[in-house]
Amino acid sequence: MENTPEYVIEMLHITKEFPGIRANDDITLQLRKGEIHALLGENGAGKSTLMSVLFGMYQPEEGEIRKNGEPVKINDPNDATALGIGMVHQHFKLVDVFTVLDNIILGAETTKFGFIQRKEARKKVEELSERYGLKVDLDAKVEDISVGMQQRVEILKMLYRDNEILIFDEPTAVLTPQEIDELMNTMREFAKEGKSILFISHKLNEIMAVADRCTVLRKGKCIGTVNTADTNKQELSNMMVGRPVQLEVTKTPAKPGEAILTVENLSVPSKLHKGDAVKGVSFEVRAGEIVCIAGIDGNGQTELIYGITGLEKTSGGSITLCGKNITKSSIHNKSAAGMSHIPEDRHKHGLILDFTLEQNMVLQRFKEKRFQNHGFIRRDAVREYAEGLIEQFDVRSGQGPVTTARSMSGGNQQKAIIAREVDRNKPLLVAVQPTRGLDVGAIEYIHSQIVAQRDEGKAVLLVSLELDEVMSLSDRILVMYEGEIVGQLDPQKTNLQELGLYMSGAKRDSEEGKQ
Amino acid sequence: MIFLIQQTLLYAVPLMIVALAGCFSERSGIINLALEGIMIFGAFVGVLFVREMQGNEVYTAAKAAGDWVTLQGLELLAMLVAAIMGAVFSLLLSFASINLRADQTIGGTALNLLAPALVLFFIRIIANQNTLQMATGGAGSWFMLKKSTFGVDKATEWGFLKEVLLNKAYLATYVCILLFIILSIILYKTKFGLRLRSCGENPQAADSLGINVYRMRYAGTTISGALAGMGGFVYALTTANCSSNGDVAGFGFLALAVMIFGNWKPLNIAMASLLFGLFKCIAAAYTSIDINGDGIYALAELGISSHLYRMLPYIITLLVLAFTSKSSRAPKAEGIPYEKGQR
Amino acid sequence: MKENRLRTLYEKEGTKKVLASLLSIIIGLFVGSIIVAIVGFSKADMGGKSVWDGIRLIFAGLFSTGRDASGVLTWGFNPTSFGNMLFRATPLVMTGLSVAVAFKTGLFNIGAPGQYLMGTMVTLMLALGIPSEVVHPVLIWFIAFIGGMLAGAIWGAIPGLVKAYLNINEVLACIMTNWIAANVVTWLFDISNFKNVTENTKASEIYKTTFNGVATSKMGLDQLFPGSQVNGGIIVAIILAIIVFIIMNKTTLGYQLKACGSNRHCARYAGIKDKRNIVLSMAISGALAAAGGSLYYLSGNTEFYWSTYQSLPAEGFNGIAVALLATNNPIAVIFTAIFMSMLDIAGLQLTNLTAYNEYITDVIIAAIVYLSAFSLVIRMWLDGRKKRGGTENAKPADAAKTDDDDADAEASVEASEPEIATEGGEQA
Repeated sequence: MENTPEYVIEMLHITKEFPGIRANDDITLQLRKGEIHALLGENGAGKSTLMSVLFGMYQPEEGEIRKNGEPVKINDPNDATALGIGMVHQHFKLVDVFTVLDNIILGAETTKFGFIQRKEARKKVEELSERYGLKVDLDAKVEDISVGMQQRVEILKMLYRDNEILIFDEPTAVLTPQEIDELMNTMREFAKEGKSILFISHKLNEIMAVADRCTVLRKGKCIGTVNTADTNKQELSNMMVGRPVQLEVTKTPAKPGEAILTVENLSVPSKLHKGDAVKGVSFEVRAGEIVCIAGIDGNGQTELIYGITGLEKTSGGSITLCGKNITKSSIHNKSAAGMSHIPEDRHKHGLILDFTLEQNMVLQRFKEKRFQNHGFIRRDAVREYAEGLIEQFDVRSGQGPVTTARSMSGGNQQKAIIAREVDRNKPLLVAVQPTRGLDVGAIEYIHSQIVAQRDEGKAVLLVSLELDEVMSLSDRILVMYEGEIVGQLDPQKTNLQELGLYMSGAKRDSEEGKQ
Repeated sequence: MIFLIQQTLLYAVPLMIVALAGCFSERSGIINLALEGIMIFGAFVGVLFVREMQGNEVYTAAKAAGDWVTLQGLELLAMLVAAIMGAVFSLLLSFASINLRADQTIGGTALNLLAPALVLFFIRIIANQNTLQMATGGAGSWFMLKKSTFGVDKATEWGFLKEVLLNKAYLATYVCILLFIILSIILYKTKFGLRLRSCGENPQAADSLGINVYRMRYAGTTISGALAGMGGFVYALTTANCSSNGDVAGFGFLALAVMIFGNWKPLNIAMASLLFGLFKCIAAAYTSIDINGDGIYALAELGISSHLYRMLPYIITLLVLAFTSKSSRAPKAEGIPYEKGQR
Repeated sequence: MKENRLRTLYEKEGTKKVLASLLSIIIGLFVGSIIVAIVGFSKADMGGKSVWDGIRLIFAGLFSTGRDASGVLTWGFNPTSFGNMLFRATPLVMTGLSVAVAFKTGLFNIGAPGQYLMGTMVTLMLALGIPSEVVHPVLIWFIAFIGGMLAGAIWGAIPGLVKAYLNINEVLACIMTNWIAANVVTWLFDISNFKNVTENTKASEIYKTTFNGVATSKMGLDQLFPGSQVNGGIIVAIILAIIVFIIMNKTTLGYQLKACGSNRHCARYAGIKDKRNIVLSMAISGALAAAGGSLYYLSGNTEFYWSTYQSLPAEGFNGIAVALLATNNPIAVIFTAIFMSMLDIAGLQLTNLTAYNEYITDVIIAAIVYLSAFSLVIRMWLDGRKKRGGTENAKPADAAKTDDDDADAEASVEASEPEIATEGGEQA
């Protein structure tokens, strides 16, 4: 490989293996000074492993890392920091109960006799925040500030440490389109100053917009590095997935029928503060349509779903399902009234990881006559049922129905949940971030299943943070902002910019999204 | 009244220092259920040390000459030894829960079973009975600060403050209070404290900033062990006449409750320990508490069964936990073993 | 073919558990021996011979038959020891079951001592309080037994309730209820007229149930083990263990309890009433622990020292060791309980025959609990080892918490492969 000082950081022929899986296979990534370099790959392509290697969290089996052409050894994050490498993690590495200032200085404290010199630190942070227009409230606790501000805190952490090489891991996932533009400008400014930026993403639009060059990973292998000026979205997407990808979901126009779910004036209390997380929300979902709740994470979507499905108590309003008032019903009765639910967090709510696949398949149904006899579980009936579902939904696992759920891959775990929920055959399907963290193949499959459910006449209530998914999958979009529905949009007639204005609260319908 | 304040302080101070022990451990992310066991162990080690040292001629001579400074030195030395051995004992917990990522609750329980068993085994062999006492004399004659200690006649009136603080008091109490203040400042004002707390809240974040989570957690549990060991000895010294019998009557668990009630914050813990100390004092000495000094033992004359008084601290703990559980906020990562590299 | 392979795999899992437990036992016994050796060699009046005696008794105290005229330890089948072992195992089986059931539901029932005491108290009061001239003693036996279990159930439900509805750590709540129970029992017996005033100097104890003609049937076991205290209680305990096994593994109730234990959030999501199940589990757990006390004191020839406010019954705490060693399998509990009571017998022999004392047994038990705390980790580690060879699990587990980045697969590899992390930690 070439070895000229034009590269500030080079990762050459990196190979990292885990038992049974080669997460990085001979990957080479070279970062020039002052460039914005994108690292593109699907979930599971090995991007995070590569970054962990760069930060010394893992030691690679093969390959070396060079800084300005000199080989370096990185054993832990301290070494990386010493080399001027900083990173904004996808999941922010912030301590919720600490102040913003404490979070910024943590690990790089200025001290006198062991005592922290907060005044000095404050001055430095204030200067930085001024210079780059990164507005933060230094004395606020992290748990009280918005996601956007949390990201600015993360960026300030890097600047505070005088890092020259800045890594952004999927930084746009939590931002509105407008905030994304702002971030891109900040990144360009950093690059202009001579800082080098590595931008990890699977979003082609953003890469095309901001990056100079792009390295593509697929299944742990390096597919190539291209100049963004010389390529296009389709080509990048083919490189990423290895086959032509359907970028859009194919579906026929919806034929909405009668209302299945009617939510009126619903309020749900917040876990974080005294007020309500959902404030008097009203909408309905009709048979044969996909209604999507869009919004930035933390604007009450989770609580809204908890309220509807019964995981959380509501504090006002009513929920009607198939003509039956289920506001105060138990979870069991709500689901019996006609609701199935693909939960947001498949490990927390979706599966009992220590149970076998077959046990997980009858989670809601083990008390049905079919699966029990005078309180004794009919194991053969459960087995038979699970085998049917596994085959029908192509759930892959090591030992079939007796596989422990924990040992399955994320995609197959999600498939198992979808199999279970779809097979319960209820008029309403609630799906919360059903494709989170999955690869393109699994995403395509899940999208097609959801559309199929709609076409069968089911009402689908979808919650998604992925704007592409919102735009392509839904028949109707409801935007949530600070616990209220601020807009109702038709995906055919709107665009990302407009959606973004609603999501950030800059724009709202006058009649609060009522039907 | 003076008696009540002094007695309360005798119970409150070990409670406070042991609750702070729990705080250091939990703030670093390790649930230290073994406080009780470490206290038992510390008490035994301290008492054994005093017992052995009493044979040393330096101390026999000091005792005979009434050289109270040397004797106070012995007391401090015993505290130090108890603290060191408490820290060593707590390494068993650290090793299991940090390196082996064991269930911290079970690990702590094991230590709670181990301490009394070991201690009783040795006491039986050393003393041929179930209680280990000082070789000669008692805690009062050797270590207690009295008017005579300062060369003042018994009959002299000292004034309220001096009576409360210096007459029939133990130096250990004040050492503990001082330590409590110093450690609280360390927890909040220093680099070490900030880093320690970050490990209990979000070890992944700490790790990503180059903080060694394992080392911080070791530091937390070791400080915790030292404080609990010392607290155990102070408890034995001041309330059990410097004897050890493999039991501290759930004191370590009360300290945990105090810590939870105090919301893992030192100042609140100090307040909570005073409150609990008062209840514990009432339970232990209600027959001899003369609240307003009129010579009537009001509590004893209420005619309430002594059993009820003895039960009181535990019932109150349960109630207090019940009422504060909603607002209490434990360190987020406590009890969760940390694996490096896991995101 | 597939079935066959699965079965062998399952058996391997079982074997691994047994191996891990055996390892814990052996290490525990060695820890005990080492302490005996240290003490023996460091004390002038004890020396090598006493160390050798001590260690032999730790390992084989059950087969000790005392010392002969020349002071040499003698060995052989000792029916009294065997019978007493089974007798003492009875409450341990029950407290072990109690802790195991709670563990399966994700709860740590360290409140067994208190539940045991409450069961003991109610049982004794019923067995002694119901006049046997009016009610048939066998009926009294049943009333007392059921009554004791009910008392334990109620007492166990208290920490369950505060855990479920107020989210208080059940360990702390259990410990408080333990001490409250100890005081309540002392108090109620203190004001009762069940104190043994007939026999001189025994007023600190409660009448034996035989005073009222109530006692567990011997079921012929006394013929097998003459001179011992054994009775039908052990058989009742074994039957209860089997019932618990069936409930936990074959019924919808067991499914629900285990679902709540493994993942409370998911159980809730599925419409299982998690709070009710937590209370229920603690109540069952409490009833089982209480049954231990009932069976022990219903034997008719055991005396209860009622002024117990300063100490909690060891049977309750040892239940933790029994359950952990049995990896919470109700059937295995029977065997580990018998093992624990064998240690007890060894401890007694040690006290009787040497200068050592029975507390070494508790040291060994504590060591075993300590090892059990990470035996799960060791087993996981063994699992990880094995998987490395297999190609079947090319895409291994994501055991880690939810994470929606592409670390899904990788983070999990870490989880099943702890040694990586440990090495990293040592380097850093």
